[in-house]
Amino acid sequence: MRPEGVSEVEDTVRAVLRDVLGLSGERAAAFTETTPLFGALPELDSLAVAGVLTELEDRLGILIEDDEVDGDMLESFGSLTRYAVGKALR
Amino acid sequence: MISSYDWAGGHEAMWRFGPDAGPVVLAALPLFEEANRTRAFLMTLLRALAERGVASALPDLPGSGESLFPTETATLDRWRQAYDGAATLLAGEGRRVHGLGIRGGALVDSYALLHSRWFLSPQPGQAVVRELGRIWQAAEPGADTGDMLGDGPPIPIAGNLVSRTLLGELGGALPMLGPSTRVLRIEGDSQPADRWVPGSPLWRRVEPDNDPALAAVLADDIADWIASCAS
Repeated sequence: MRPEGVSEVEDTVRAVLRDVLGLSGERAAAFTETTPLFGALPELDSLAVAGVLTELEDRLGILIEDDEVDGDMLESFGSLTRYAVGKALR
Repeated sequence: MISSYDWAGGHEAMWRFGPDAGPVVLAALPLFEEANRTRAFLMTLLRALAERGVASALPDLPGSGESLFPTETATLDRWRQAYDGAATLLAGEGRRVHGLGIRGGALVDSYALLHSRWFLSPQPGQAVVRELGRIWQAAEPGADTGDMLGDGPPIPIAGNLVSRTLLGELGGALPMLGPSTRVLRIEGDSQPADRWVPGSPLWRRVEPDNDPALAAVLADDIADWIASCAS
């Protein structure tokens, strides 16, 4: 059940944001590479970040180290997806 | 109906659902904040089981729910003793007891002699500790999560004081998996399971939510599983 391609990882990141933040399907579906996340989505506070990271770990079968988590990683949907792809498909 | 049970260290409340005879499901909520997010959903699931003729019980574990124990006195050993106390009471009624655990709730049944176990998205205790560390760091930037399992005072996490004894116990705790255990997960979860069901993980929602359609799917699965265990 591990994701096999980039688009599958992107779908997972989108679904995790939708499920953890309680976003509508339409809103999550509209996310693009440049959609800003941390600081721009009111639902994504620091507590929600903890949930997003842990749920990504569960769904992608990866382990996210604390020192990898910074503002750049969470800046946009594109940056979070690139991070997840790098972890899940290597 | 609200009932109660005794364990070696005290007396706690226990919800009971369904018929007075036959097999009974002994349920355990996820741990900490996830319990608040899933309580309404689990109640819906247990009522759906009752509609299918399957009885169930949901005990308050010491230091959680309505328990009078302060949260910082909660330990995994106490939770397991308490769960075993509830299982012993139900078995004493001459009934087969089947465990039901959601998430970290799959870690509390280890002392109990159960006929079978059914878990939704079970997680190792290490994952629970890792997430608690993240929540702690979110509230207190600079908190040293490497220090969580050592000696020291209880740690304030999301409004609760959590003892380091409990964190240490959780760090090594694993769900009881084996031939008499059935595991379900939500579609998209990469970890092993016997079945994946469509839905969203309610335990992640910051605002508690419910999902009666998912509860109905799970109730059917549990009822079939218990029937297959009887043959």
